Amino acid sequence: MDTQRRTDIGPPDFRRFLPPIIKENYGKWKYHEILKPGVMVHVAESGDKLFTVRAGSPRLLGTKRIRKYAELADKYCGGHLRFTSRHNVEFLLTDEKNIDPIIADLAELGHPVGGIGPAISSIVHTQGWVHCHSAATDASGVVKAVMDDLHEYFDGTTKIPGKLRIALACCLNMCGAVHCSDISILGVHRRPPRVQQGLAKVCEIPNVIAACPTAAIRPASVEGTPSVEIDESLCMFCANCFSVCPALPMADALNDGVSLWVGGKVSNARHEPMFSKLAVPFIENDPPRWTEVVQNVRKIVEVWVDGARPHERMGEFIERIGWPKFFKLTGIEFQKEHIDDYRYAGLTFHRSAWVRH
Amino acid sequence: MAVTAEQVADAMYDLVKEYQGKKKLKAMDLTHMMVERYGAEGCDKKMCKAAIRSLIDSDRCVYTYFGGSYIELPHAEGAAGGG
Amino acid sequence: MSETNGKGSATPMLDELEKGEWPSFVTQIKEMAAEKEQCQQLLELLERSYREKIGHWKHGGIVGVHGYGGGVIGRYNDLPEEFPAIAHFHTLRVNMPSGWFYTSDVLRKICDIWDEHGSGLTNMHGSTGDIILLGTTTDELEPTFKALTENDFDLGGSGSDVRTPSACVGPARCEWACYDTLDLCNDLTQTFQDELHRPAFPYKFKFKCSGCPNDCVASIARSDMSIIGTWRDDIRIDQDAVREYAENGVNIERDICGNCPTKCMEWDGHDLEIDNGNCVKCMHCINAMPKALRPGVDTGATILLGAKAPIVQGAQLSSVIVPFMKLEPPYDEIKDLAERIWDFWSENGKNRERVGEIMQRVGMGNFLEAIGVDPIPEMIAYPRENPYVFYEEYYEEEDEEAEQEEEEGAAVP
Repeated sequence: MDTQRRTDIGPPDFRRFLPPIIKENYGKWKYHEILKPGVMVHVAESGDKLFTVRAGSPRLLGTKRIRKYAELADKYCGGHLRFTSRHNVEFLLTDEKNIDPIIADLAELGHPVGGIGPAISSIVHTQGWVHCHSAATDASGVVKAVMDDLHEYFDGTTKIPGKLRIALACCLNMCGAVHCSDISILGVHRRPPRVQQGLAKVCEIPNVIAACPTAAIRPASVEGTPSVEIDESLCMFCANCFSVCPALPMADALNDGVSLWVGGKVSNARHEPMFSKLAVPFIENDPPRWTEVVQNVRKIVEVWVDGARPHERMGEFIERIGWPKFFKLTGIEFQKEHIDDYRYAGLTFHRSAWVRH
Repeated sequence: MAVTAEQVADAMYDLVKEYQGKKKLKAMDLTHMMVERYGAEGCDKKMCKAAIRSLIDSDRCVYTYFGGSYIELPHAEGAAGGG
Repeated sequence: MSETNGKGSATPMLDELEKGEWPSFVTQIKEMAAEKEQCQQLLELLERSYREKIGHWKHGGIVGVHGYGGGVIGRYNDLPEEFPAIAHFHTLRVNMPSGWFYTSDVLRKICDIWDEHGSGLTNMHGSTGDIILLGTTTDELEPTFKALTENDFDLGGSGSDVRTPSACVGPARCEWACYDTLDLCNDLTQTFQDELHRPAFPYKFKFKCSGCPNDCVASIARSDMSIIGTWRDDIRIDQDAVREYAENGVNIERDICGNCPTKCMEWDGHDLEIDNGNCVKCMHCINAMPKALRPGVDTGATILLGAKAPIVQGAQLSSVIVPFMKLEPPYDEIKDLAERIWDFWSENGKNRERVGEIMQRVGMGNFLEAIGVDPIPEMIAYPRENPYVFYEEYYEEEDEEAEQEEEEGAAVP
């Protein structure tokens, strides 16, 4: 066939794309300083200085915009740039004099500079209705609405006590690491799957039954043909069955929406990594601006900004003041959904007489 | 029993054909079944890997993904609608 | 289909998301829609989702490039007659260079390929780290792949395989990198190309390389094997620089010592003293005073296993399997560990069972035996609290007599 076909070559070696200053000082950086919001300098043992300008991006980028980034890299950075794990773009400069001009050019393109140090960085997020088959909410739209509201904490207009990381996943599959974020926005389904006709033609029934973590799916005969039935009282809407069988759709306009979780972190600094915990069980999808989501996120951020000590992450702050006070300060209503009732739920109960009055 | 990778591939193909529509088989299922049939000495994991590669590269089978990866006979995509 | 009535916008709700300070994804799609019918139809389909509050995409499980079982995510919309240009709208995951470094030339090359073969829309980057090329037809998959490989790019992972490994910026631009995250990431990716492209596992397997315990790629939350840089010797201190921080207003007693999780440091107003034997390498003091404190020089990584999102049995963070491992090329020790884990998992795992889940199902102790790692106290937060122990052997009375005789025999040679 095609003898020229190349496979299994892997990605190009990253060393091809490193700027000369990095090649020369690779592994020999001494310290860094944050010069202003979104700008830092790394100083090498050699005395060389590398300036980084970090800009927020919508993550979903057209090639036209990427070509603009390339132009900026040519104009100011000898053609070098990188992206971060949170969808930001970083321009790597050797000449300090280029910092302000590139920030001005980025502003003209509509890209704010910030997200370094004690700040809110870009929201890690998933595809949502733009491209996902299992989304319970949109991703990019919610992120846009929330960041429009919080940009003052990204670009340093308003100072905050420490880092605040927000992530969004449009369903429980969590293609973004939302389960360990200071604030996570998570799309949730609330209607059990609908069993479609002819399920057995598309899906293998034993596989479907095995997919359910709570054994809510049982074999059944529907109009003489093999199918499954759902014990709705056992369904906790994980959608794992839908992942293995498209004939069990979960998405439902009336019942899908968003939940908010708080206090997770992945860094080991001060406190061990933590999972995020449930703050708001359910908010209806409200496109295009998801106003109630935006309001709730802001309220949580403001309570933390007002009350946290320097460096203190959301989870550390809440641990110090206690969950009752968190609910009181945010005005979020505590409901029975806040209390875990899955495996080992008892570990989350308050098992001491320590109570603040 | 000494077998060649091509013989293993043929045996795997027969299994995939037999199970098509009844049970989706994963690469590891096929490997287990072959090791069971031919014994670990006659047919090791490396040989099974080569056999699977031959099945896929020759277009006799394709990889599919439905919440996990499987090896199936080539067929029209259900979601494509109208085939 | 559209509600333009000859005038006004077809996408009034999305237009709303072009307002505001944050850069807009809608603007991005619109920029491309001028030339690409696919993007115009995507906008209109998305507007419809906004109106109806429901998605319109179906999963495709078969499309891909020849010979690979991963790297392409099949997508079809459920209204193909109304939106024919995006009836097929598949995604390619393209393996990024370690650390997401690019030159303007290579970025433009990717843009050229994608303008020619697809929608022109991307994610820079997807959650796992790949370059996401968002939306093309089945017929364009092979030509896109060919153009990519001609330019030294290859597809990343998807399905039950090794997923595209990722790494923090590491020694390229960080003074805290305790090993070469970029080189290890690149090496693992190249070593395991077959495992990455030809799914043979029960489910996905992710490697993430973080250079220090700040864990900038969230490896402890998101990877089956989390490789987190650390050190065994003393934190390097420049006492003059500490004093400089104090003079510039840092409250060392409260904000540095007070935040130390093991209270292993003391500040007497002149010197900062660290009890390094009791330091857990949390990074707080170093983060707070980067000019004064640095990780030690005997560096390597802690290897942790088993993190995952909720599906299927619940979310997990990774837990310690090797407290300290030196990481230098050719990285045989860590590759060997990974392969031992894969052997056991492939032999015994259930469909869609992650490594973190099989560890729980068979028991951590049994899992350790199977992969040939000795149990050590660093692996646990605390020993078990419950007395239900699964002992595997017990003695019968005859055994005891036999043992006694043996002992007596031994006593009188």
